Amino acid sequence: MIVCLAVVGHENNPLYIQSFTESDDALKLHHIVHCSLDVIDERVNNPKKSSPTINEAFLGLLYPTENYKVYGYLTNTKVKFILVTTDLDIRDADVRNVSLLFFRKFHAAYVDAVSNPFHIPGKKITSKTFRERVSSIVKSFGLSSAS
Amino acid sequence: MEEFPEELRTPPVALACLIGCPEVHPLITAHLHSQQPPINAVALPDFSMIPPKKPPRDTLEPPAGIIKRDWFSKHRTRIPAVVAAIFSSRDVSGDPAQRLQVCNDLDKLKASIRGRNIKLGVLVVTKWNDKDNTSEERILALRKRAEIDSKNLIIFVPDHEPELQQCLSRLWTVLGELANTYYRDEGRRVRSRLEKKNYSSMELNVRYCFKVAIYAEFRRDWLEALKLYEDAYHALREMVGTSTRMPPIQRLVEIKAVAEQLHFNMSMILLHGGKVLEAITWFRQHTANYRKLVGAPEVIFLHWEWLSRQYMVFAQLLETSSPNALHVPSTAPVAEEKPTEWEFHPAYYYQLAASYLKEKNTCLEFAISMSVDVGSFDGSAESVVASAYLGQYSRLLEHEDAFIMQPLTDMEYAHYALAEGKRFKDSFEIIALLKKSFEAYSSSKAERTAAYCGLQMAREYFSLNDFSNAKQIFDSLANLYRREGWLLSLWEVLGYLRECSKGMSSAKDFIEYSLEMASLPETTGFSESFSKDCGPAGPATPSQREKIHKEAFEVARGESELNSDEQNSAFKVKSDYPIYLEIDVISPLRVTLLALVAFHQPMVKPGGQSLITISLRSQLPINVEIDQLEVQFNQSECNFIITNGQKPLSSTDIVQPGHRVETAPDLVLATNKWLRLTYDIKSDLSGKLECIYVIARVGPNFTICCRAESPALINDSPLWKFENRLETIPIKDPGLALSGQKAIQVEEPEPQVDLILHSSGPALVGESFILPVTVSSRGHAVHSGELKINLVDTRGGGLLSPRGEESFSSENIHVELVDISCDAPQDQSEAPSDKIQKIQPSFGLISVPSLDMGESWSCKLKIKWNHPKPIMLYVSLGYLPRSDEPSLQKVHVHKSLQIEGTTAVAINHRYMLPFRKDPLLLLKLKSISETDQTPYLALNEKTLLIISVKNCSEVPLRLLSMSIETEVKSDACTIQPQQEEFREAVVNMPGEEFKKVFTIIPKVKSTKLKIGNVSLRWERDSNATSSQVTKYRLPDVNVELPLLAVSLECPPHAFIGNPFLYSVKILNQTEILQEIKCSISDSQSFVLSGPHSDTMLVLPRSAQVLTYMLVPLGLGSLQLPRVTVASVRYSAGLLPSNASLLVFVYPTKPHVDLKPPGDA
Repeated sequence: MIVCLAVVGHENNPLYIQSFTESDDALKLHHIVHCSLDVIDERVNNPKKSSPTINEAFLGLLYPTENYKVYGYLTNTKVKFILVTTDLDIRDADVRNVSLLFFRKFHAAYVDAVSNPFHIPGKKITSKTFRERVSSIVKSFGLSSAS
Repeated sequence: MEEFPEELRTPPVALACLIGCPEVHPLITAHLHSQQPPINAVALPDFSMIPPKKPPRDTLEPPAGIIKRDWFSKHRTRIPAVVAAIFSSRDVSGDPAQRLQVCNDLDKLKASIRGRNIKLGVLVVTKWNDKDNTSEERILALRKRAEIDSKNLIIFVPDHEPELQQCLSRLWTVLGELANTYYRDEGRRVRSRLEKKNYSSMELNVRYCFKVAIYAEFRRDWLEALKLYEDAYHALREMVGTSTRMPPIQRLVEIKAVAEQLHFNMSMILLHGGKVLEAITWFRQHTANYRKLVGAPEVIFLHWEWLSRQYMVFAQLLETSSPNALHVPSTAPVAEEKPTEWEFHPAYYYQLAASYLKEKNTCLEFAISMSVDVGSFDGSAESVVASAYLGQYSRLLEHEDAFIMQPLTDMEYAHYALAEGKRFKDSFEIIALLKKSFEAYSSSKAERTAAYCGLQMAREYFSLNDFSNAKQIFDSLANLYRREGWLLSLWEVLGYLRECSKGMSSAKDFIEYSLEMASLPETTGFSESFSKDCGPAGPATPSQREKIHKEAFEVARGESELNSDEQNSAFKVKSDYPIYLEIDVISPLRVTLLALVAFHQPMVKPGGQSLITISLRSQLPINVEIDQLEVQFNQSECNFIITNGQKPLSSTDIVQPGHRVETAPDLVLATNKWLRLTYDIKSDLSGKLECIYVIARVGPNFTICCRAESPALINDSPLWKFENRLETIPIKDPGLALSGQKAIQVEEPEPQVDLILHSSGPALVGESFILPVTVSSRGHAVHSGELKINLVDTRGGGLLSPRGEESFSSENIHVELVDISCDAPQDQSEAPSDKIQKIQPSFGLISVPSLDMGESWSCKLKIKWNHPKPIMLYVSLGYLPRSDEPSLQKVHVHKSLQIEGTTAVAINHRYMLPFRKDPLLLLKLKSISETDQTPYLALNEKTLLIISVKNCSEVPLRLLSMSIETEVKSDACTIQPQQEEFREAVVNMPGEEFKKVFTIIPKVKSTKLKIGNVSLRWERDSNATSSQVTKYRLPDVNVELPLLAVSLECPPHAFIGNPFLYSVKILNQTEILQEIKCSISDSQSFVLSGPHSDTMLVLPRSAQVLTYMLVPLGLGSLQLPRVTVASVRYSAGLLPSNASLLVFVYPTKPHVDLKPPGDA
């Protein structure tokens, strides 16, 4: 299940962060997302170490924490997408495919959001439409992974 | 890792036992231990110490536990795999009593080891000398008695070095083989039970697997050991749901303890084998298997403690395992997902260990708070000890001199665990773990992960009330979050910092953190920001911000006290403890108060007014009313104070007398709105005027000092950079908002003194050009005035002539400043030391006396031109308008003037022969073709020298005298007149030429006769400057004796019809007879009588005259008949010029009296 989604800008600043849990652990998720930026930095700086991925943008599993798994995605404009899930029991290949698919959809939503002429590049995304769209994407994935 | 006993942390070593002959034991023990693989040895000095036979075990009894706690250590330290019985050869081959003793000992030993299946080896110690004395027969008998192979009986010779080494190595081989056989046999024995499934319970299954694995480890068969550990581990995992042997809590505790042991052994084998990837995968599985098995809620902390220990031990294992293996993950395909980078770092595990330990702490505290009657059990808790089985505890009861282990109920166990948990403080351990993790992450440049560890560490310090340590870490975290704009994390950290400063009773810090929190950007639209768990400051809601804002200002105004809950010290802001905040460009409080200052003009005249706009902005959620604003400049006279019109100026306000005070209608800062204040500013001091601080005072004892910034250079703080907010410009004028500067250049004051350079046209070369300079005061008095004079070549380059580079003399300087003469100062008392006068050829400095307003002073510059050259004269006057303020800057007046230097007069000369006289100069004839311009003069003949003087300047000149100075006082030639003073000065207008005639009679024959110099004295016609002398050197002349001299003689005029004589006189100055041809041409104007053409001889040193009688026929200026005289000897003829042949013919004799009037 997806618990948190974040878009992180060039200066490692959060542009958008949304969590999908009922419990009060938003802050913890913030920290997890923030820490995962270190892994992205290392992967981007040492590209040889990382495994050959299907898609250049998809960074794969960044690191597992106690209860979560963190996946990363790097767009061509070096904007980072970070996904925190609790799907600890799904097989690796499935997770990879599902998360890649998710990131693609999310990327499309992001591109639409920043293409808004009223959006200033580099600023936080506050669009409600984007928010709703992300929620619906997350919901659809939550259902599909549960089934 | 230290939790595990030493024997578990090191690979197992086979154990041998030595019995008898204690003198050789140290030798053997040391050797066995030093070999690879080593063999440990226990030594029994004699056979009486053999332990009794092992009692048979009742196998039907159900097992009381899974693994005996000391089973492994027993095999490593107490139960040998092989026994070496050592006999001396004397005993073996001695008398029958000794032999019997040997046999008895051997039997006893065999009986003891048989039940345990321990292998036997025999050593016979002998001397090198006695080696062959021991009979074969006896040895064979001994071997038979011991029932061993021949190779297992060793003759041991300790006193012969080569033999000894051989014996020792044989012994090591034999013992090693026997030990291996023992462990293999034992392993097989237990394994057969496993294969036949010959066990009554799951516990035994696990135990058997464990035992086989240990035996395999003894044999160094790592693969088998690993496989059996895995079997044991899986079997154990199955037990979790099925076993009912013990009360549920203790059952789980036991299973976990065993699992931990099994996993530890597996990790050891894998990591020492360099299989890091497998070890990590196993560890992942291990934690995944057991993480959910939290157990009963009252002892849930035990689970977290256990989990934390798993991580910590694994981290330690990973850290201590060989580092080269650490970074080479094996490429073997792993079914599971590949571990990520962090999972190869021990730091990752330390961090998680710490976080689970923290979890344990939380649960423990909760459990303690829930159980009220912990104390009642305290006394009996001491009697609880670890029982014989791993992971089991029981109560030790003393019953009639015997100790009885009594099993515990779950309730009792839980109490025991709680009591144990209370005894230890985990915080320090958590901090230690986190610190390790923090350092490791920091060193691998994982700044953010390290920060997260730091955060947890700081929280732990905070919970221990160690505020200074906590604050230090929180501060560094806050910097990171500020930089990257993680608002929620920053909010949490600042909340902690606020509490820390409260705890440390630091009101300043408290206010700073509070203000920063209050002015953080709002995380609008994010539900997360309203999450409750956001640190001690509560959720990051607008209302919470306002609350924090109010608290900060209440403390700052001294309305409320700052008191920490822990320490009962209250701190209140009073006049004794004022609060002074300083906000600079890098301060995070810039968002709280930002002061931009812009001057409206870039430059201003001194004393002139300029507008200055002070723009203040705050992001605080509530309006802030400022009591007073002070604006400070680098020129403190300009400082001024703006008071709030809404508030009366109270007596406590600091207003220094003489300071400007402005009143603004209100000084209220609204959220994200600019408060713009525009005032006039006036500076009398030239230079830079820069606004440095804007100081806001709120309440009597709270001051915020804000460093002024220029709008042009402003950059947004990283926190606000990414926010979508209304951007407003700080100053209404958008141009100024983009380019405004906080500094202004104040020009120099306008000089009120005139500096006048009286130019009198171009200067003339040679004269001392006088240039008067006048300093006249219009509105300023002049004090400490200094006049600087500079001469600069207008075309660039120096004032020196090119060849003057080597020798610096006045001759080579084209133009030089000779003197500065000034009027004698009126005030004679002025100390001469004040007078500075410095003159160099191109530079001069002179001090100007003090002048009052309206006075003037002048001096004269004397500049001499040695060569014609235009120059630029720069004169600058620096002075102080007032004498009482020496710190004031000098006022400068600059003037420049270009002066042409021209040559005054051009002197030329010309030589002329006397009228109608022509000497024959042979050399002149010869040199005619050459370009030699040297004039030729005839010896003893009169020559005319005409000196012409042309005025080249633009001013009339007055010529005073002219003379020719012969260089050597000799009689080489006579010059008439030598010198002439003009009776009345000749005024020579520009362009005019003045001529003067001299006569020269050379007296000496010479090819280079120096005539001398013409020197002309002149002066300017305009003023009475001193006269100048211009010299002109006459070129050398050639003087020679003329051979022949022809002179024509004729009256100056004639009358028509009246005859007159026209004679040609030829003077022969040679010693020889000269033949002269002469002829005369006819002329229409004259009737002529005399020889027309003739040749005549002139005697040496005599003259011959040829006379013609002419009667003029025409009137006016007539050409006389041309006489041609030619010397035959010299082939030279005389052709008189046309001018010399003119005569004027009057019609009649004039009636005027031609005689001079006096003669009449």
